[in-house]
Amino acid sequence: MTAGADAPTPVARPGPHEGTGRAPALLLRGIDKAFDGKPALTDAGFRLEWGEVHALVGENGAGKSTIMNIAAAVYAADAGEVVVDGRDVPLKNPADAIAAGIGMVHQHFRLVGRFSVAENVALSLGGAGRKCSVAEAARLVREKAAEIGFRLDPAARIETLSVAEQQRAEILKVLLLGAGILVLDEPTAVLTEDEAQALLSLVKGLAGQGHAVVLITHKLREVAGYCDRITVMRQGRTVLAEAPIASVTMEEVARHAVGETSPAPVRSAAESAGAEVLALKGLSIARAGGGLAVDGLSLSLRAGEILGIAGVGGNGQSELVACLNGLLSVAGGHLDINGVDMTRASIAARRAAGLRVIPADRFDSAMARGLTLAENLAMTEVPTGAYGGAFRLRRGAMRKAAEQAIADREIRGGGPATQAALLSGGNAQKLLLARELAGGARVIVAHSPSRGLDMRAARAVHVALVEAVAQGAACLLVSEELEEVIALSHRITVMNRGALSAPLNAAEATPARLGELMVGHA
Amino acid sequence: MLDTALLIRRQDVPVWLSVATYAGGLIFGLCAAALCLVQLGVPANALWQEFVVQTFLTQQGLGQTLTAAIPLVLVSLGAALSMRVRFWNIGIEGQLWLGAMAATWISLHDFGPGPLRLWLMMAAALVAGALWMALPLALKLLWNVSEVISTLLMGSIAFLWVQHLLFGAWRDAATGFPTSTTLDPVERLPLLGWDQLHAGLWIALAAVVVCALLTGVTRLGFYARAVGANRRAALASGLPVLLTVCVFVLGSGALCGLAGAVIVSGTEFRLTQSIGAGYLFSGIVVAYLARSNPLGVLVVAFVLGGIYTAGNVLKVFYGVSEAVVLLAQGIVLMSVLCAQLFGDYRIVTRRRA
Repeated sequence: MTAGADAPTPVARPGPHEGTGRAPALLLRGIDKAFDGKPALTDAGFRLEWGEVHALVGENGAGKSTIMNIAAAVYAADAGEVVVDGRDVPLKNPADAIAAGIGMVHQHFRLVGRFSVAENVALSLGGAGRKCSVAEAARLVREKAAEIGFRLDPAARIETLSVAEQQRAEILKVLLLGAGILVLDEPTAVLTEDEAQALLSLVKGLAGQGHAVVLITHKLREVAGYCDRITVMRQGRTVLAEAPIASVTMEEVARHAVGETSPAPVRSAAESAGAEVLALKGLSIARAGGGLAVDGLSLSLRAGEILGIAGVGGNGQSELVACLNGLLSVAGGHLDINGVDMTRASIAARRAAGLRVIPADRFDSAMARGLTLAENLAMTEVPTGAYGGAFRLRRGAMRKAAEQAIADREIRGGGPATQAALLSGGNAQKLLLARELAGGARVIVAHSPSRGLDMRAARAVHVALVEAVAQGAACLLVSEELEEVIALSHRITVMNRGALSAPLNAAEATPARLGELMVGHA
Repeated sequence: MLDTALLIRRQDVPVWLSVATYAGGLIFGLCAAALCLVQLGVPANALWQEFVVQTFLTQQGLGQTLTAAIPLVLVSLGAALSMRVRFWNIGIEGQLWLGAMAATWISLHDFGPGPLRLWLMMAAALVAGALWMALPLALKLLWNVSEVISTLLMGSIAFLWVQHLLFGAWRDAATGFPTSTTLDPVERLPLLGWDQLHAGLWIALAAVVVCALLTGVTRLGFYARAVGANRRAALASGLPVLLTVCVFVLGSGALCGLAGAVIVSGTEFRLTQSIGAGYLFSGIVVAYLARSNPLGVLVVAFVLGGIYTAGNVLKVFYGVSEAVVLLAQGIVLMSVLCAQLFGDYRIVTRRRA
């Protein structure tokens, strides 16, 4: 084994719950942490035993990642103690944590894209004071991969690998560094259904070998079957500690996480067949690297309906949304809005026709972090003259409109003059919805609108979309979250390799049926 | 005993704090520069006399300071405009040379009636500066050619072109020096009676007002803010990004060109090989320190003009070398920039329990 000299070595599975006499793998007690005076953790605690998979659940900003980053010594706690395997070791920086056997797999992998898997491993081992050649690292990678049961080419360059493979490389790296304690931050967020299952089985297997594993997640449903115990955090405090997974229900967990009874799922309004507002006829879009990202796609969207496009990410969804927005040009086919050909229309013309886009990454192609809330809100309407003429911009009107929107949409975390960068994900999304769903929205294209949001914020997004549609708009919901698509859509189609399946009605669209279509055997 | 000192990024920087760190950095830098000069043998009381009294508080000194500040204001406004849309204009001197050449060309050929000549020279300089910028801009927009490289190289081309003219067709036949012939009185910016101070002052102030209005109260200014903050989001929001970028970038070139004409017809009265030297560095520094704010540019350029004036006096009367003057200027600049750390971060020290 390649474990570091001081690292606790995992022992053969003693079983997580029965007293083995062994000290807990990780014990955090009375942890306080504030960022620039704003408390993120207050008297938070966490206890992890050897040989278990432990789910750490909570909303965005509940402190899950923060407390684990303290365990991994990425952050320093303001108060409290961290005990690893029964020893109170001072963890001053991430290297100390690695030496103590704590390995964290962050949401954004710590890998050099241009290096091969083996080179990345050699780099990290060298950084931890265990220099080895790339060839040696390649051998270690191969052995370890075989040991835990998956394939990974040590010579493959990271940037050529899929996200799932990159994640495996990262896990391998952390294990080769000698981690007995493995912390995975939202590991399934970037994975498809199948990949997620494979990862979770892998994790379960590692726990079986005696490792201790923490899964940080807000998709408990997905991981529940693979976890032994669960800890729930809310607003920086541990509200449910070390409950055996079998003893709690989803509703209980949700109540602990949100602090009130779990919100009922959004019911979509009854379908009303309105006029066709968006028609795509044989639309093709070129891919950046050559070839077609979207190939001869056709669909028809009517006022008053939500058409869901499910599918695994990377099948042309981003290109489709960017093309509808007007950021990518059309390679072939037609795009009509309200019966008018808008294939080559400018972005401004599309907006004037009532097209609104909520992209998957709001700070990439919708809003600017460096602008204030008021400026972000006003941005799309300034060219129309809503905020004064070409030579006299009315900043006062912008501020008033922003105050109104902040109150109406319950946007928390700042006033009109606050920079958008300071908002949490949920509030930033509310800000974008306030802008895009305000007057004149007829065709709403929403791409993964609840990605990365906690339950409450996701619900607010869903309610806003359903309301807009009830008022006569149409919505094209492009999402990789099956649950979201099924809950909201009147008709559902699946995107696979740049093409759409025939739409199913909400009643026929079961997860199983959609799953088949996603895999592409339909 | 202190064990650790941590830097903690502030979530929000209040206005008073940015002002305080800025002022603190400036004062610290001036003191450090003064210490440096005293160490090199410049008497301390002379520093006060030269830096403050002679550069800002006497009519002659203030006139010199303002004269030095005029072209500085223009090039810095130019730098600020392009920075606003994230276009790095490293060819400030090139556009300045083009403006100077265009103005000289009008004067050498006596185009237009006398009373209009000066206006023609200024207009030609604006156009020439903008045109010199048009090529890098087109390259950037069409093929994404790095403007850092293209504007810089265009600057070298402009300087070679000036030399070509000064050693050739435009050489002053009377003296044989590589300069153009002196301007007619009608082609010179009128003096205002304070030492060398000329009517370019009004041009610079007008440019500040126009830029302040453009960035502060017009829609185009708002678009530029959006483009600077996130170009793709501005595009996706339906803003006229192309128009905005063109106006700000060509405006940047035009202002730098205007600076060239103002130097030729305000202070030098001829085209020489040395009029453009140093404005690239100064223009970017001023625009950066002013955070691309036109009114800020006015203040910073005025202060820097004072430092130049004082620097010249130090060189001539105290035998301080050019290098030391540059060193002093660099110290001031560095401390202002470093002081931003205290605005962006909170420093927490703690004792280990």
